[in-house]
Amino acid sequence: MTQQELADRAGVTRQTIVSIEKGKYNPSVGLALRLASTFGVSVEELFEIDREAGDG
Amino acid sequence: MDRRWADELRPPKTGLLAGALVVVGVTLWMLVDKSLLFVAGIGAFGPGILREIGWLRDHDEFQRQAAHRAGYHAWLVGGLAAVVVLSALERGGAGAAVSIEWLGLVLALMWLTWLFSSLLTYWGAQRTTRVVLLAFGSFWLLFGIATIVSEAVDGSGSFDVAGTILGILAGSAIIGPFFLGAWAVTRWPAFTGSVLIAIAALFSWQFGPWGMDEWSTQLLTLTLLALPMFACGLALLVESTTDT
Repeated sequence: MTQQELADRAGVTRQTIVSIEKGKYNPSVGLALRLASTFGVSVEELFEIDREAGDG
Repeated sequence: MDRRWADELRPPKTGLLAGALVVVGVTLWMLVDKSLLFVAGIGAFGPGILREIGWLRDHDEFQRQAAHRAGYHAWLVGGLAAVVVLSALERGGAGAAVSIEWLGLVLALMWLTWLFSSLLTYWGAQRTTRVVLLAFGSFWLLFGIATIVSEAVDGSGSFDVAGTILGILAGSAIIGPFFLGAWAVTRWPAFTGSVLIAIAALFSWQFGPWGMDEWSTQLLTLTLLALPMFACGLALLVESTTDT
């Protein structure tokens, strides 16, 4: 699945997906759930806490 | 330019319409009537106001956060600039030259801050610097071509070959570094950032308002020339430090 396809399914722009992948943007709970649903996994499987940065 | 770049550089329909209004407004302001600048204001601020009211829903959550962040940065810089300008004018007393350029200076600072904050959030320091340098270089290229063409054909209508070659060489000396910087920024970001800050300092020293009466006009020129270079250079150095 391309970034654009994922963005289209989640209802966001490709730039948003790029920023999440790079760790520069933390998605809202709603978007995290939509992304996890797209992949058929749970949010915990898709995202993990960055212990050093103190966030996801 | 690959497809990803083309996709990211292509503005959305609202952005195109807003940009067109800004260009039309500025053109009307320059060529027709100064009061028609409000058309540019509709393009610059209209979409944001409509989004906040909820009548325009073309942004996703990342874009909304970027817009709010850029707006806060613009408020901080614009507010500080307005207070400094007010204080300076008050200190000058009743005889202080209050001109429309001061308002233009504060607006330019706010707008540039908003623009840089948005671009840095979307693209990061390297890509933002690359686009800014290419934009500067292209502007000077067009300006240089127009100057060379107008000067090549002198009053008698004959073509001045020697003058044209000299013009191309002189123009390349100005335009070349911008394109060279755009090429170097992804290869040596920290070095390019340092060079850009040095160039901004050189501009400030060369075009600064030191000892002049028209501070507002000079500061506005400096804001539009040196500030983008300084902001790009600083962003590159900060990004280089945080990435390592």
